[in-house]
Formats: sequence, C-alpha cells, structure tokens
Amino acid sequence: MQAEKAKANEPNQTDAPPRASEQNGPDEARAPSAAQTTPEVAAHIVGLSKSFKGTQVLDDVTFDVAEGESLVLLGASGSGKTTILRIIAGLEEPNTGRIVLHGRDVTELPARERGVGVIFQDYALFPRMTVEKNISYGLRIRKRPRKEIKETVARLLTLVKLEEHRKKYPAQLSGGQQQRVAIARTLAYQPQVLLFDEPFGALDAQTRVRLRREIRALLREIKVPAIFITHDQEEALELGDRIAVLHSGRLEQIGTPDEVYNRPETEYVATFLGAANLLVGVVYHGAVEIGTAAIPARAETERFRDGQSVKLVFRPEDVVLSETGTLPEGVRRLTNGIIEEINFVGAYERLTLRLDLIARQTQAEEPPLYNVTINTLDRRIGVPIIVTRPKPDANVARLQVGLRVAVGLKLFRVLPNFTLASERGSKSVDMRG
Amino acid sequence: MSTAISTMRHVRGFDVVRPLSVVALLAIMLPLVLLPLLSIFIFGTSKGLGTFWAALTAPEATFAMQLSLFTSFWATVFNVFFGLFAAYVLSRYDFYGRNAIIVTISLPTAIPTAVAGFALLLLWGPYGVLGRLLAPHGIQLMFTAWAIILANIFVTFPLAFGVIKPVFDTMSRSLEEASATIGATRWQTFWHVTLPSLRGAIVTGALLTFARAVGEFGSTILVSGNLAMRTQTAPLYIFAKFNEGQVEAANAVAIVLALFSFFIFSVLFFARDWLEAD
Repeated sequence: MQAEKAKANEPNQTDAPPRASEQNGPDEARAPSAAQTTPEVAAHIVGLSKSFKGTQVLDDVTFDVAEGESLVLLGASGSGKTTILRIIAGLEEPNTGRIVLHGRDVTELPARERGVGVIFQDYALFPRMTVEKNISYGLRIRKRPRKEIKETVARLLTLVKLEEHRKKYPAQLSGGQQQRVAIARTLAYQPQVLLFDEPFGALDAQTRVRLRREIRALLREIKVPAIFITHDQEEALELGDRIAVLHSGRLEQIGTPDEVYNRPETEYVATFLGAANLLVGVVYHGAVEIGTAAIPARAETERFRDGQSVKLVFRPEDVVLSETGTLPEGVRRLTNGIIEEINFVGAYERLTLRLDLIARQTQAEEPPLYNVTINTLDRRIGVPIIVTRPKPDANVARLQVGLRVAVGLKLFRVLPNFTLASERGSKSVDMRG
Repeated sequence: MSTAISTMRHVRGFDVVRPLSVVALLAIMLPLVLLPLLSIFIFGTSKGLGTFWAALTAPEATFAMQLSLFTSFWATVFNVFFGLFAAYVLSRYDFYGRNAIIVTISLPTAIPTAVAGFALLLLWGPYGVLGRLLAPHGIQLMFTAWAIILANIFVTFPLAFGVIKPVFDTMSRSLEEASATIGATRWQTFWHVTLPSLRGAIVTGALLTFARAVGEFGSTILVSGNLAMRTQTAPLYIFAKFNEGQVEAANAVAIVLALFSFFIFSVLFFARDWLEAD
C-alpha cells in the first residue's frame, strides 16, 4: 500500500490529461504568490481516487483553487473531505490522480517537500516549545540565518496579534490563540497553500463565529490560497469564496456560496446546505406538474423532455404566502395550502403548510399518490412543506393555523429525479444546463 | 418549609468500621513490610555509626556497590535505547507477527530470574551454544562483568519498553504530521517533536530499569560466579557476608541499597506530574 515515493517530480503514469500548468518549471513553483500577475491556479487537484481496504472513499475528484482564493470542502463525515486534504498535504497517497501546486506536480513528493501549510483540527502545536519556537520551527529546521528567523517571527507575531504571548507555551493559550500560532507557524515558511482541517471544530459556538471572521480577514491580508474542510454549512457559506460539496467521495457541486445555496445542482447539495423542500413532479409543456398543481418554469425545464420525472426544490424562505391570492411580481404561483403549524424561532417565523396537490380523496384500495399521512381531518391531506418568513413580514401579515393561503415561489430549482442510484451516478442528464 | 430543611442537621452515627479497618490494614503491613525495613536501619546503626561506616568503606563493599552501579548503568542505557526503538517500530508500523514480538519483549518479566541466569549460562558458558564458538578465541563472557550486564539486560528487558510504548501509542499523530508538513525530515521530527514528548517516559523507564537492575540477585549469582572484588555485586555481597556471619558488613550495604530504592521511588512518586506532563 505504502508505495515508495519517487524523489523527482516526474509526471509519470498519470491518469489525468496533461495540463498546461504542468509545463511550468519547478523553480517557479517556489515563488511567493505575490510574484504572479495573472489570476492563476494555485492548486490543481485532478482525478483523485482513493480506497481504503476495498472501500472507495474518493471517486474522481477534480477541482482547482485560484490564487488567493479560499475554497471550502463541505461534506458530512465520511464524505472523503479529510482524505482529500491529507492527500494534498502528502500525508496520504491517492490511488489515482495528481496534485499540482503552482504548476509543479507534487503527487510523488513527501509531505515535507510540498510546502503546504496544514492547520490541524487540534492545532498540533509542539507542547514543549514556546509560541516563538513553534513559529520559528519551519525556519530552524531549514537552517535559516538567525537574523532572518528573528525578523520573521516578529513579523508573524504582529500579524496574528500574539506579541505579548511569545514566551508562553501552547497549553497556556486559549483555543483561538493556539489556532493563530498554528497559522503563523505555517506562514513562516511561505506555504503555497494553506489547508485547514475542521478549524473550528474544537471551539464553542461564539468563539467559532468570531474566529472565522478573524481568519477570513487574515487570509485577505496574506493572500495565500486556502482550502478549508468543514461539515458546517454556515461556516462554509461564510468562509468560502467557493464551496465544493462532497458526498460519499464524489464532488457534487462546486461554486460560489450563492450558486451552491440558491442554485443547487443536486438534491444532496440542496438539502445539505440548509433546509429545502422537495416535491416530485413531472415536466409538461414548460411547467412542472405536481399532482393537481403546476408551476410555470420554461427556462428551468428546458433541459428536460416532457413527461420526465423531476424534483422541484425550493428553500423555506423563498416561499411567499398570500391570504388574498394575489402574489407579488416575479413570484410564481404553485398552489394553495393550509397552515398546519406556526412556530416563532427568534428572528423568523417557521410555518408548516399542507399543499393542495390532490384533487380528491383516494379510494381505500388505491395506492396513495404521495407519501402523505391521510386521516379523516381535511387539513391532514396534502404534502407538507416548511416555510419561513422574516419577523417584519410575519408581523405585517399575521396568519393563523388552519388558514388556506395561496403559495408562490420566488426561487426554485428543477432537478432530475433519479430513482436509481446508478442513474444518478452516471449523471445521464447534464446538470449544469 | 425550605428553611426547616436547610436548618436541619444530619448527625451521622459513629462509624466503627472505619478506624478498625485502618488499624487492621496497618497491623497487616507492619510485620510484613514496615518492620523488616525498619530493622535493617535499627540493626545497622546499633553498634554505632563508626562500625557502620567502616563496614561500608571496606574495599570489598565499595567494589560491590560500584560494580552494581556500573553494570546496572549499562544495562539501563541499552534497555532504554532498545525500548525506544522497539516502541517506535511496534507502534508506528503494523506487520505480521507484531503482537508476537510485543509478547516476547514482555516475556522476561514472567521468567524466574534463576532460570534467566541459567539460560544465559547455557548459551554463553564455556560449553554453551555460542560460548563454545567464542572459547577458542579466548573470549569468555560468563563470570565477568559482561555476564552481569547481560543478566541485567535480560531481567529488565521489558521495563523501559513497557513505559515508553503506551506513550507512543497515545501520542497524537498530528504532531509528527505537522512537523512533516512544515518540512522536517523523519529524524528532525523525531529529535524535535517525538523525543521531547517522551521525556517523562524515558526518565521513568530508565529509573525503573536501573532500580530493578541494581537489586538483581537470582540471575547474577548464576552468571557472575560471585567472585569478591571481581564479579560480586552489592546484593551478592550482602548474601556472601551474611553467609560468612559478617552481619554488620551485610547490613551496611543493605542500608545503602534500601535508601537507594527509597530515592528512586520518591523521584518516581513525587516527580510524576513533571514526568507525565503531556
């Protein structure tokens, strides 16, 4: 399993197509990011696959990280995100695929020759070294002149605002301070890319929010490309210039926070990044028909043929309710619904609605069209959806349980409804359409 | 109602079992552990400190103590290095037969020391498997200080390993991985990161090994030949002098050995926090 690591960076036996960036010499690779003029690709991750003891943990993962960009790998535990990070760092070897950092193929290089900065989840600060010694470690093992080490450490201590803690040991620092030491320790040797492994996992909720803003500001200042790993979608949306959503070793979607949140390409992305309502429907003449309801969606259904089974995906906050039946401009009418439940959740109001999607009561022997709990009460019939409204809206138009309202959608996505996992895997429909 | 409860005071009946059990505990320990230790000090000093000092500074006695320190020292050096190496290999690499090696390393603790000495004699003795090959070259390991070191190594073999290995196992791998990503070689990582974290375990392991080696008797008496001024260690000296009826001489060295163990024990006991820090 542990194959010998080749010493030279020969691009041998690569499964990936050759990239233009691989032509660049290794000399250029060590150059600090500031030297590059055009917005360049800092890291190319091409066709990564990995299996552990017969279990496929990564399946052909390909993405790029631009210079100065911060990319978040978002996924549940077991999605393979940590494995990607470890492969980029050189702590794990891929079965196939290449890692190209600033034009240099580092796939065959050991971790210490990659010039990658890893901020571990537990920070991995050396317990027997002071803050200063931790930060200077990378320079000391490189046998840099004492003067240079001193200057770099002083500069980094100022950058991460830890000047007064320079003589302390890691155990005497708070979690946030330890993290800043860990970042400074990697910055000392000018890493080509920073890798953050669940950077806020070990912190309480409040510190977490504060620290990720600090790190965001710090990264803007130092302009080093960064890859974050997290399972927290809120964190991903806040930290990432782009987000790559991983699911069982596959890259589901990569895009800006706005793209992955508002235009999810798969059902998994839609449900993993916040709450989403999913309704199964059929495309027909430029509309999506869901039971007796139909919502006009010409642009969204263009890539589907008539009669194709699709899923209508929309966020709770994109639902507009109206007692009068008139909906604002740009909001498309879906159907009516009965309010079943209203909860106040701090800044917003959360409602559960039953949509009128069935025209008649199903017969006893007839299989139900939808997975709906049907009991004798009229309001129990229909498909439940979740709707949220911000407090101001909720205060202006108060609604009661049992009220029948018109339901419109500001924004929604139409996704192919793969009934079989194999269909989904082969991606028979171009989802980027 | 709540005030009534808070002002009520629960008076517990006098618990007879507690003082009785403490007394019983001490009563059992007294003749078994405390009195024997006490008696060597009482007896050793009963004829005055002059006699004690004279017995202690007798050439044979000082030689025996020096030999004990010398042989124990080198056995300790070897076993600490070996324990470190074995712990590194056995906790970092997984291979077929790994557990068998771990069990084998720990085996010497279970073997009677006399058996250990006897086994060494059979191997290295003049007619032993290896000793037979060395004898024509004039090399004779048994009945020399080398034999004592070999015996010490054998009986203290698993001690340092046993202390260092668990620390290796529980050590966070991310420290070493961090060091590697920062750019350190394996050797730099070991020297700057791994070894400092093992400091406590190494000191503890060395002290345990040394203390055990200094007191070793069963294997030493077989392999050393118990020759005064040549291969007689401190425990052998006590045994020999007692057999000769020179109880004062035996007792003086016994006191030194006892004090020495107290010292090592206190270091291990009181410096535990320092030794076990991360």
